[in-house]
Amino acid sequence: MQQYINSLPIEDKLTIELASLFEKFGYKKYCMAKFEEYSFYSDNRDFLSGEGIIAFNNSDGRLMALKPDITLSIVKNSRISRDTLTKAYYNESVYRIGKNTHDYKEIKQTGVEVLGKLDSYNISEIILLAVESLNKIDSDNILSISHMSVISELIEKYNISRKLRKSIIDFIIGKNMHDLKKLLIENEIDSDKFIEIISVSGKIDAVIEKLEKFSEDGFSFAEAIADFRMISDALEINGYKENVTVDFSVLNNTDYYNGIIFQGFVKNAPGAVLAGGRYDNLANKIRKHTEAIGFAIYLDNLNLWYPNKKEFDTDIVIINNGGSAAELLRVVKGFADEGHSVKVETSEPTDYNYKTIYTFDGCLKEGK
Amino acid sequence: MLNIALPKGRLGDKVYNLLSSIGYDCAEIYADNRKLVFENPDNGVRYLLVKPSDVAVYIAHGAADIGIVGKDCLDEGDFDVFELLDLDIGKCNMCVAAKNDYVEDPDRPIRVATKFPNIAKRYYASFNREIDIIKLNGSIEIAPLLGLSDVIVDIVETGTTLKENNLSVFEKIMPISARLIANKSSYRFKQETINELTEKLSTKLQEVKK
Repeated sequence: MQQYINSLPIEDKLTIELASLFEKFGYKKYCMAKFEEYSFYSDNRDFLSGEGIIAFNNSDGRLMALKPDITLSIVKNSRISRDTLTKAYYNESVYRIGKNTHDYKEIKQTGVEVLGKLDSYNISEIILLAVESLNKIDSDNILSISHMSVISELIEKYNISRKLRKSIIDFIIGKNMHDLKKLLIENEIDSDKFIEIISVSGKIDAVIEKLEKFSEDGFSFAEAIADFRMISDALEINGYKENVTVDFSVLNNTDYYNGIIFQGFVKNAPGAVLAGGRYDNLANKIRKHTEAIGFAIYLDNLNLWYPNKKEFDTDIVIINNGGSAAELLRVVKGFADEGHSVKVETSEPTDYNYKTIYTFDGCLKEGK
Repeated sequence: MLNIALPKGRLGDKVYNLLSSIGYDCAEIYADNRKLVFENPDNGVRYLLVKPSDVAVYIAHGAADIGIVGKDCLDEGDFDVFELLDLDIGKCNMCVAAKNDYVEDPDRPIRVATKFPNIAKRYYASFNREIDIIKLNGSIEIAPLLGLSDVIVDIVETGTTLKENNLSVFEKIMPISARLIANKSSYRFKQETINELTEKLSTKLQEVKK
């Protein structure tokens, strides 16, 4: 079975391996319909990073949407009990209209969500699963973690208006410190200290140390420090600390996210292949008193960046020159049972390569 | 190996000379040939010479790790890249220009000829002014003269071309200069190398300014 899984393209292989990983950690598969009422998504449009929703009228005139997001749907539709956690994993496609290209896109995703009353274990588990998931794509990977409370503290401390917030966050996401500095100076904000804090990056323990020092200047990053320390301990014990770094340019909408957020990168991919974080603010908007954390892995293009090159398209080709079909089927089944791929042709194939060729005219002979 | 995308032309030459002076030289680049990729394995750099408007595309898709691009091309495309440094060279302004005697008619949409439709749309949307975009690829200045458009949105360096065509700047949209950008994944895997280059380049630019 493992041999078969290894022979699959990476998107298919990952889907199987990650489902197995998530199930081992107590996640149940969540299947969803492809359509939902448009109004639900339009109410939470900002959560979809500015990309459009594909909408249509159903037979009774209601405006429907092709599902543009999975997290929103899980939060809305899951049965959440007060006492236990809802732990779901999914393997689905979402559909959006590209922000700049305006073309329709199908985006294949797999991921996990935990809903309910979260504790430090749940957060550590999600980070560990994110690192394990990246390892299944490529051992050469980096998980960049960040904490929404850091930007929230800066917004509060410097009393930054809602109008200014978006530009500041965009500059931080782009590591554009030169334009951020100009904007902060224009708005009479202590640009040097702001940039010094937001530029802190590197290994988790070193970042904790730096954040602690800012308390001397009256900043409180206690929430971020506590979460980083917990993650550092969890990764240390499980031997995954090496590939995790802190980077505050990983940032998201403060209306939806709070606490830990993260993005995962693998060597061959030009952008993040994994993204997630804690989104109590979004969960609470849809269902009261719910905390939530999760991540998604974007499967599109992984086959391009990690091609599963096989030496041969088919192991065995049999040219059928006549004879008993039942006997030929017995021969083919015999090869297949031994783990070979077999294709029966009427003449020698020229459009794919094979390892061995046989002819069959009632009995099997090696060669053309 | 650090892959650096440079814009073909004057700006690219200027930036290459700066990079060369801080240890990222590649003698092969001076050879008079039609090659577009130049490599110096000794200092671990590979230069790619590309069309200025394509630099950010190469970076965003990971075909190059870092690159130099004008802020105009960067903002027009809305690319998901890191913008690490303002090189403060190749300076000019993105402006609205029109015939010297132009007076805006508030009763109808403004016809805007430009190579930068996204920048123009964002600018006019910021004060809710309706416009019709006429996308052109060059010689934008001719559009108002022939009545094709009311105004143009374009980069203005010295203003000489505008002046010679009886056009004037009516509004400045934003200042433009060359920026050092990086692919977000490459930055994480080659952070030390990219940060070292950024630091050296920043220091060199300060020295040149003095």
